[in-house]
Amino acid sequence: MWAYEKKLQYPVKIKNPNPALAKMIISQYGGPDGELGASLRYLSQRFSMPYPELKAILTDIGTEELAHLEMIGAIVYQLTKNLSPEEIQKNGFADYFVDHTTGVYPTSASGSPFNAASIAVKGDPITDLHEDLAAEQKARTTYDNILRFCDDPDVRDPIKFLREREIVHYQRFGEGLRLCTDKLDSKNFYAFNPSFDKK
Amino acid sequence: MTDREMMLRQIATVDFAIVELNLYLDTHPSDQEVNSKLNDYKKQSEELRNRYQEMYGPLTSETAEDNRWGWIADPWPWNLPEEGEN
Repeated sequence: MWAYEKKLQYPVKIKNPNPALAKMIISQYGGPDGELGASLRYLSQRFSMPYPELKAILTDIGTEELAHLEMIGAIVYQLTKNLSPEEIQKNGFADYFVDHTTGVYPTSASGSPFNAASIAVKGDPITDLHEDLAAEQKARTTYDNILRFCDDPDVRDPIKFLREREIVHYQRFGEGLRLCTDKLDSKNFYAFNPSFDKK
Repeated sequence: MTDREMMLRQIATVDFAIVELNLYLDTHPSDQEVNSKLNDYKKQSEELRNRYQEMYGPLTSETAEDNRWGWIADPWPWNLPEEGEN
């Protein structure tokens, strides 16, 4: 069950449109390491996760990712406001515009629509937690790459906030992995899969 | 920055502490000191939210009660000031 709050997790207020930048940032909406994939990955992994701390982390981080998805949507929306056809053409936004006008569609920067192939749910807590640790670093790299192309402080500020959240989530998943291995056979973590095998 | 934006920022600041401590407590559920800090921030957030909602309308559909127009009213969180700032 979820409840919506009519506010962003961190404020987004962008004065100057920049469709070229919007086309890059939309990757964190529907790209391979974006917030949509992040929330689906964590909220889906919960069902086979055997330990209470890990069910809680996946639920709470998965929920926070939905708030991040909304922030990215707001950034893309504001960066593509009040554009003339000339600006759309000049900024390389015409190919996106033809398919979606200025609607916010889950796609990668390179134009591939959102694809669940970019996330994994393996049904094994060690495997899934390593997926999650890698996912947080991949998202962090993507935010670092976005920041290379972005000098508008109105955009840098919320992007830097989102980047820092990847680092905190990585920390929490690291603790989750340790909690998990503490409960396994210390001579062989892989002796059984606690999500499936009966001990 | 408008007064409304300033209040939203204050709420976001306190709510950020709540999100952060809540995540920490998922992996450290026996840390009583942090839990009592979390409760302090929750009280602060509730006070700020009540004040905000009296002035600018509901933050959740649950708190909308009879103010249905207030719940649907612009600005929604992604809107810019010219799209309906109070």
